[in-house]
Formats: sequence, structure tokens, C-alpha cells
Amino acid sequence: MPETLLSGFSRSAVEELSRRKGEPAWMLEKRLQAWEIFEKTPTPLGRRGDLGTLRMFANFRFQDLKFSPTSDANASLPTSISHSLEQALVNQRSGLVVQHNSSVVHIELNEELKKQGVILTDLETAVREHPELVQQHFMTNCVPVDSDKYTALHAAFWSGGIFLYVPKGVEIENPFLTQIWLDEPGLALFAPTLIIADELSSVRFVQGLDSAYEGEQASLVHTVVEVYAKSAARVEFSNLQDLGQNVWHITHKNAVQEKDGSVTWVLADLGSKVMLSNIGVDLVGDGTAGELVGVFFTDHDQRYAIKTLSHHTALNTNSETLVHGVLTDEARVEFDGMIRIDPGAQYTNAFLADHTLLLSDDCRAESIPGLEIGADEVSASHGATTGKIDEEQLFYLMVRGISKDEAERIIVQGFFEPVLQRIPVENLRVRLRRSIIQRMRGSYESEADTWVDAQERWEIEDVDEYAISLDSSTASDDEIKLTEY
Amino acid sequence: MGSELIIKNLHANIEGKPILRGVDLVVKQGEIHALMGPNGSGKSTLANVIMGNPKYEVTDGEIWFKGENILEYSPDRRARMRLFLAFQYPMSVPGVSVANFLRRSLEAVHEGNKPLEEGENPTGKVGKKRGIPPGEFRKLLQEKMRLLKVDNSFINRSINDGFSGGEKKRAEILQMALLQPEIAVMDETDSGLDIDALKIVSESVNALTGPELGILLITHYQRMLNYITPDLVHVMFNGRIVKSGGKELALELEEKGYEWLKPSEEENGEAAHA
Repeated sequence: MPETLLSGFSRSAVEELSRRKGEPAWMLEKRLQAWEIFEKTPTPLGRRGDLGTLRMFANFRFQDLKFSPTSDANASLPTSISHSLEQALVNQRSGLVVQHNSSVVHIELNEELKKQGVILTDLETAVREHPELVQQHFMTNCVPVDSDKYTALHAAFWSGGIFLYVPKGVEIENPFLTQIWLDEPGLALFAPTLIIADELSSVRFVQGLDSAYEGEQASLVHTVVEVYAKSAARVEFSNLQDLGQNVWHITHKNAVQEKDGSVTWVLADLGSKVMLSNIGVDLVGDGTAGELVGVFFTDHDQRYAIKTLSHHTALNTNSETLVHGVLTDEARVEFDGMIRIDPGAQYTNAFLADHTLLLSDDCRAESIPGLEIGADEVSASHGATTGKIDEEQLFYLMVRGISKDEAERIIVQGFFEPVLQRIPVENLRVRLRRSIIQRMRGSYESEADTWVDAQERWEIEDVDEYAISLDSSTASDDEIKLTEY
Repeated sequence: MGSELIIKNLHANIEGKPILRGVDLVVKQGEIHALMGPNGSGKSTLANVIMGNPKYEVTDGEIWFKGENILEYSPDRRARMRLFLAFQYPMSVPGVSVANFLRRSLEAVHEGNKPLEEGENPTGKVGKKRGIPPGEFRKLLQEKMRLLKVDNSFINRSINDGFSGGEKKRAEILQMALLQPEIAVMDETDSGLDIDALKIVSESVNALTGPELGILLITHYQRMLNYITPDLVHVMFNGRIVKSGGKELALELEEKGYEWLKPSEEENGEAAHA
């Protein structure tokens, strides 16, 4: 059942889309305003001398894309996909939402949570049934419509979408799983996610982005993820992006945190041809904490531009950003990590680190960490490293009988591990290890498991009582390392 | 007949600079050889060249192990022939635990001496079946951990990551114990150890010696030889072995230093420097 697709973005297309969706006037108004902003906002071009990811997007033929003016109520996923999704964390998930192309095709919410007032639905339904929540929160002050030209386009043409509201005091251990699945070449998919965690609530949310279609024709997947953590609420959002390398991807993610709220972003990016990723934590309440943990693995001619912003505006706030990425082939990655501390945001702690490992001669990584500090009682630090695998490290592993290819893989696995350890949802951690392994060259089926049990902890019986410990406080002799022939 | 490591007229360069200038040495399974010499004499280079470190270029000579000329073999293949190097400066591998690394390494070494195809992996080749079942590995590990007096917290740490000098050397010996090499080169295993650590590490080495293991023990000082008794002592100077003798040679060196063994200009043909 193919969706009826339109081509060409225009004001009349916005009207047509809103009419066919049967939206209330305020949403049409918001879309039309967004379209005006899109039209008058210049295309972001990046800096002179950067690796050119934004300029690639500037030359992208948006007008060649098609979009769906309706949500297809009868749309469904291929059986194999829906089956595997329905099996994912069954009995251990709080809910599941699946968006297939422009339509949400599956929504399921734990009965107990429903009774407690949790709302999980597609955003189109939320517009009709919870207009006050959507009006107040959707693309207003978390990811504003006018953040850039692309957010404006998103606000004008969004479709489907995911809406989660967790009421005051409801703490939910099991994660909500959401999946965005694209299999239509040449499609523009604008999928928003809006999460509102009310006071003293806690919630974990996992979003997967995948695609499956053959050929070179480009599609676009643009996600906007907005998280509101009200007073003392805790939100964990994990993202696993494994789109095909014919898909262009833009994402804007931000979290607004009120007093004592905390938000963790876990971002795993493996797929897409070109990606623009903007992730932020907005620490507007006193005592808030924002954490951003990211891994990426790029190969072929993938291009990423990743921009993070930890914005401190209140007292006693903490932020930590930790990104580990691997590049190979001719991949290029720009990382722009910013810590911004406003005047008056005293007693801020902010930390940012970005480490990239280059596996080929032709890949390039550029890392620009930045600090803007307007308060004086703060502690802020940042660091970035970019380098190749150490030949001596490789030799060390090979001298233990391990082939060069596998030695490289072990080093890459070890490089990712400190970040993977921070991923709260076990199932996601395992999936991610497998996905990374599959992307590494010369691997076969057994190795996905090898990594999994490479994390296995061994407890050997009847040894500890015989053990003599060597003082680990003794300084290592590394610092007196001399070149000895 | 036991395995033999035979080095003939070995010459090697680093970055075009000649370091080894004709080394001849034979180490047999079951023997302990000490290789001594001043800093810069080429001891560590010899250890690296024996294992095939690509940083060094062999310009002349041969290395034979178990009847095969191994000069063209990759380091991993040499290891799978049960040649071992205990590093002077072991590299850390963050995110990979000692125990899990040992298991993979042991599986690789059990595959034995055969060349690998490009991209081929010696471990876990047959479907999902691992080369060494967990039970067997557990048993082996227990035996060696008790022998070396190592505890569980040690084997579950990332390999060499944040280890003290002594812990690094101990991890090397644990690997050696588990992999059961036929010839092991131990490069300055005593460096960076305080006296207590030296004693523990030396006792560990002694626990491993026997007719199945040949050792080439590289050391700058005589002190480790107080614990480990060599069958033969060689002195290296300016890229050559200039003197070999029994264990009393080590004591003589302790007393007299290295200077008296320095080859004369005529003998050496070039200026020697230490």
C-alpha cells in the first residue's frame, strides 16, 4: 500500500499536508510560521576551512525529495522487522512505538503505566488529544523552530512523531523502545519526539533509526528530539542510528532541565551518508546535571558534523560530555563541542572530552572544543585527542599470537569500551557492540560474541588466599622510559 | 630433540642506523641464557628482532626456530610457534581485561604454526565455537594464578592500564606461564622493580623453568641473577656478543663493569660507544 507522495516543499504543500491530516488551526499556523522562517533563514555554511559537511547539505537537492501528506493508517512493517521489534526486550519494556516512513504503525504501552497516567502516543494524536501539552512544549523553547533553517523545515513538514508524558512522581525502570524505519527511496522524513517528564519522575527511552532500500537515491531523515525534565526528574535517552549509507540525516536534540533534574544522552552513530547532529543540554534549573555520552564509527565516504552544547545558566550545575569515535576509509568527522557558562551560573562543573581513532590514511577528523565562561566560580575543562593505532601496541598484541586484523579490532573495542560501559540499557550495549563489530573489516560471525564475552568477568576459585599483591601505588616506570637499543 | 633458537650473523638497523652488527647465539629448550651488556649495546633490539618488530630492518643474517627460518614470519606466527617475548615496556590495552586477553591469546597460540590468510583470524574460526572452553580455561588459569600468587582483581583489570612497574612485569610472566612457550626472551624483566617485587617476579620465573622452557634473560644488572641461575652468560657490546661464559661471568661483570670487555678499535673496525 504505497503512500500518496507529494514532491516539492512550498507554502501550499504545508497547507495541503495540514488539511489532509485534519489538524487544528493552531498547528497549521505553527507550520506556516515555520515555513516563513525557513524561507527567510540563510542556509548554514560552516566555517572557512572546515571539512565541508554543512556545505554538502547546502548543495543537497531538498526539492527532489517526496513527502507524505497523510499518515497511512494501514501502513505496516515487513513481517520480519515487526517480529524482531516485537520480540525486543519483551516483558522488559514499558512501551513500544514504531514509525514506518511517515506513519506511526505500532503503539503499545504497559497497562499498569497507562493506569498511572503515562501517555505514549504518536504526536499527531497528541496534537488532537493533548493540545495544551503540545502547544506549550513542541518546538518552543527546547528546540525552537528558528534554531536554524533545517529545524524550520522540520516544523513545517513533520509527520508521525512520538509523544511521551510521564506524570509527577512516576518512576519507570524498564525502557520505552521506539523505532524509526525508512524503506522509501527519495523520501523526506521529519520525525519529532517529545518527552515530558514531570516532577520527580524518571524514565528511560531508546530510539533506533534504521533504513532498508537499495540504490543510490537519497532519502532524508530529520529527527528533532525534545526532552523536558521538570523538577527533580531523571531522563535517559539512548539513540542508535544505523541508517543506510544512501540516507542523509539531520538531528537536533536538546534537553531543558528544571531544578535538580538530570538528563543523559547516549548517542551511537554508525550509519547514514552525511549527518548533521546537534545535541544539547540546557541547564536552566539550579542543581541540574546533564550528561552526553557518544560513540561513532564511520567508514567509506561518510561525513559527520557533530555539535554539542552544554549550556549552564543556573547555580550548581554539572555537565559531562564524552565522545569516542573511530574513522576509517575516507570518512570525515567534524566535532564541535561547546561548554557555555552564563554570567551568574556559579559553582558550575563542566567537562568535555572527545577522542578519535583514525584507522586509515585517508580519513580526517577535526575537533574543536570550546569554552565560553561568564561566571568566575566554575570548574571547566576540555580535551581532545586524534591519533592512529599505536604500532607498538599492535606489535604487543601480535607477539601474543593474535593476527594484525584482530589486534586492530581488539584495540578498537577497548577504545570504545569506557563509553559503552556508561550505556545504561544492557540490551542496547550488546546491540551496539555487535553493530560495531559488523562494521569492522574482515570479521566473521563468531566475533560479535567474542566481544560480548571479552567483557566477561572471571572469578577463579581458591586463588585469592594465596595471592601476594604488588604495590600498585608504586609509580610506573613509564615516565622514565628511554629509547634503549 | 628440543626446540632451538639459532641466530646467525644477525645485522639489524633502526631508521637506517645499524644496531646489531653480527650476532651469533643458540638457545635450546631447557637452557637459561643471560644476555648482559651496557645500555645501547643492542640487547633490546635483539629481543625485538627475534619477534619480528617491523620497526627494525634486518639487513643480514638468519634466525632459525624449530628448523625453520622465521625471518619472514609475522610476529603472531612466531608466537604461535611458541616463541615468547616478555616486554621491557608492556603496552596497555584499555578496555580489555587481562583474563579475556589471555584466553584469546591462548586460543591463538593453540592454533600453532601456520601462515594466516589476509584477514584470517586464528581464534574462534569454527562457527561460534571457541577454541578453548571456559571450563578448561578456568582450570588452567587457576593453576597459573596459584603458581604466581595472583588474585582475581588482577586478572579482571584492563591489561597494563594503570599498572605499576611491578604489576606490568607480573602480567608478562602470567602470560608466559599460560602460553607455555618453548623459548622465551625476557627483556629487562628486572627493570623498574623494587627489591620485593623483584623477588616475587624472579620466584615466578623460577617456578616456570624446566626442561620444556628455554630462556634468554636480558638484563643490565646482575641482581636478577641472584635469584635465577643461568647456564650461560653472554656479554653484548656494540651490536655483537663479545664474550660468553658460565654464571661466574656475571659476578665478574658486577665487580669489574663492562669497560674491560670493550672491543679495541682494530677489532671492531668502528668506534664503539656506550
